[in-house]
Amino acid sequence: MIYLPYNIIVLIKQILDIDQMKTNQSTGEPITEGVPMRIENLSKNAIEAAVRIKEKYGGKLTGIIFGGEQSSSAMKEAYAIGVDEGIVIKGYKGKNPSVTARVLSEKIKTLPYDMVILGNQSADTYTGLLPGKLSSLLNVPLLGNAVSIEPGEKEVKVTRVLEDHNVILKGNFPVIISVSQEINEPRLPAVLQIIKAGKREIKMETASVQDSSSIKILSDRAPKSERKKEVYEEPEKAIPVLTRVIKEAML
Amino acid sequence: MRGIVFSDKEDILSQALTFFRQKMEIDAAIYSENPQSSAEFGAKKLFFLQGTGFSDNVSDALLSIIQKENYDFIFITSTALGREVAGIVSDKLGKEIIAEIFDFNIDNSKVKTKRFAWGGKTVAEEESDCRIFTVMPGIVEASKVPEKSEVSQVRMNDSKVSLVQTIPKSSSTVDLEHAGIIVSIGRGIGKKESIDQIMPLVKAVKGELAGSRPVCLDYQWLSEDRQVGLSGRKVKPKLYIALGVSGQIQHIAGMRGSKTVIAINKDKMAPIFEEADYGVVGDLFQIVPMIVKALQQ
Ligand SMILES: Cc1cc2nc3c(=O)[nH]c(=O)nc-3n(C[C@H](O)[C@H](O)[C@H](O)COP(=O)(O)OP(=O)(O)OC[C@H]3O[C@@H](n4cnc5c(N)ncnc54)[C@H](O)[C@@H]3O)c2cc1C
Ligand SMILES: Nc1ncnc2c1ncn2[C@@H]1O[C@H](COP(=O)(O)O)[C@@H](O)[C@H]1O
Repeated sequence: MIYLPYNIIVLIKQILDIDQMKTNQSTGEPITEGVPMRIENLSKNAIEAAVRIKEKYGGKLTGIIFGGEQSSSAMKEAYAIGVDEGIVIKGYKGKNPSVTARVLSEKIKTLPYDMVILGNQSADTYTGLLPGKLSSLLNVPLLGNAVSIEPGEKEVKVTRVLEDHNVILKGNFPVIISVSQEINEPRLPAVLQIIKAGKREIKMETASVQDSSSIKILSDRAPKSERKKEVYEEPEKAIPVLTRVIKEAML
Repeated sequence: MRGIVFSDKEDILSQALTFFRQKMEIDAAIYSENPQSSAEFGAKKLFFLQGTGFSDNVSDALLSIIQKENYDFIFITSTALGREVAGIVSDKLGKEIIAEIFDFNIDNSKVKTKRFAWGGKTVAEEESDCRIFTVMPGIVEASKVPEKSEVSQVRMNDSKVSLVQTIPKSSSTVDLEHAGIIVSIGRGIGKKESIDQIMPLVKAVKGELAGSRPVCLDYQWLSEDRQVGLSGRKVKPKLYIALGVSGQIQHIAGMRGSKTVIAINKDKMAPIFEEADYGVVGDLFQIVPMIVKALQQ
């Protein structure tokens, strides 16, 4: 195997743990207080993909989070998984993808890189706009929705998942690669690594952000569930009910 | 008011056209291998993008159409390519964008849209001056109009990215959107071979088989077009039977429209029971044969 050390930038988003977030029983509004933060799902896949490239070919991984003071905890977790150098840019307020893309692209422009790896669609806001926006702002080609990444000497080959078929593409470095959730199963960092990561330095910077968004949220509520929620713990009692319901639906 | 819808999937384009033609005069652009019926869904003009397209050159072609036609609104359907193109086009135009809308209305020059927020847990209704949107698949059911679109071809430039190979996926013809009863399996099924134990139920209820994302994408126990959820199909059967599905919010987003829901899960705390009319706590491999037997009596 040839040894090709790559410079890789991984973009990591820190989000509220949406799996733990509840909504208010009567208003349906999200309850965000007290919900812990964690690394966003697809960002974990992106870190894992980058770490695997490093393990196989060598290289340096720089992680960037556009977040806040509290994002150092997410960066430490990223260190424990294999990120070498972390930059946290403070000032992330809203969810305006144009602002996020501008702040991240300005930072990326100051760093050397062969690949920028990020998620294709983040699990909380689900916009999926960042890969395209960064490609446009950096004027760097996008190899999107990857389920495999094979870097070579000057170029990288990526298997891209589309709705009806898959394609294998290649592009010359530098490139932006967005990954799909199926690309890998992100590892859990080992305890020893977490302890070590706790001592490592993180570069903290601040972005000045002006957000002139016209978007006003009129309401934000969980759709009402009007389900009966009849739950049986003894199958014998459930079967007659289920067969009645199934037979009705079959009419 | 005039708008354009771009898509690389004909079926999703026809749904979006059916929806937006009621709101404004609408054109369409499609990048697809061999578009057959796109001209029949009410677009005034229809542009066929030709060549091998990736996010960069598809965006360039779309931008040239947008600049020439001077649209008030740009709608891009949410597919892998669509989202990338939307990112590029919104950046090039320097315009604010709202992603993944599933409703759209114009109210006194303001736009009102709806989208899922917090990973699908809530629906956010927003008011804005936005002019660019990505649109969720399945916004309405597609219906044809008698008049055909006026078709023109747009040749794309070369992409900076090159195509090495196309790998076909087995395309099946399941129509989950119109199924009356859906039996949906999750990771709780354990392995592909166990599907054999579910099939008697699928047959007995004359249903369609569907699955969660891990089942369809990660493990490929079922084909991808059977995936229900936020990034899969949005279904609305009379009866949805969830077997070994935990009921994560991204799954719920695809089956919320079901009339009645039955869930079987061995974990009493599984969130699927919050979205079920009838739930059974227990091992699906014991309960499913019991139901089949009872149905046969
Ligand atoms: C951006 C994004 C988009 C997504 N889109 C989708 C989507 O479109 N569709 C989708 O489904 N997911 C989607 N997901 C994934 C989603 O978050 C969950 O990971 C997924 O739905 C879980 O699938 P599951 O219920 O099959 O598996 P699990 O969560 O692992 O649940 C398995 C369940 O089976 C039960 N079980 C195990 N054995 C048995 C048994 N013998 N009998 C009875 N019960 C048993 C367990 O108690 C458990 O509750 C998306 C995620 C992200 C981040
Ligand atoms: N604030 C952020 N800081 C760093 N990376 C981000 C941020 N927001 C999004 N990303 C990356 O972009 C991917 C896609 O996000 P999005 O386009 O917002 O759906 C995520 O999976 C992350 O890898």
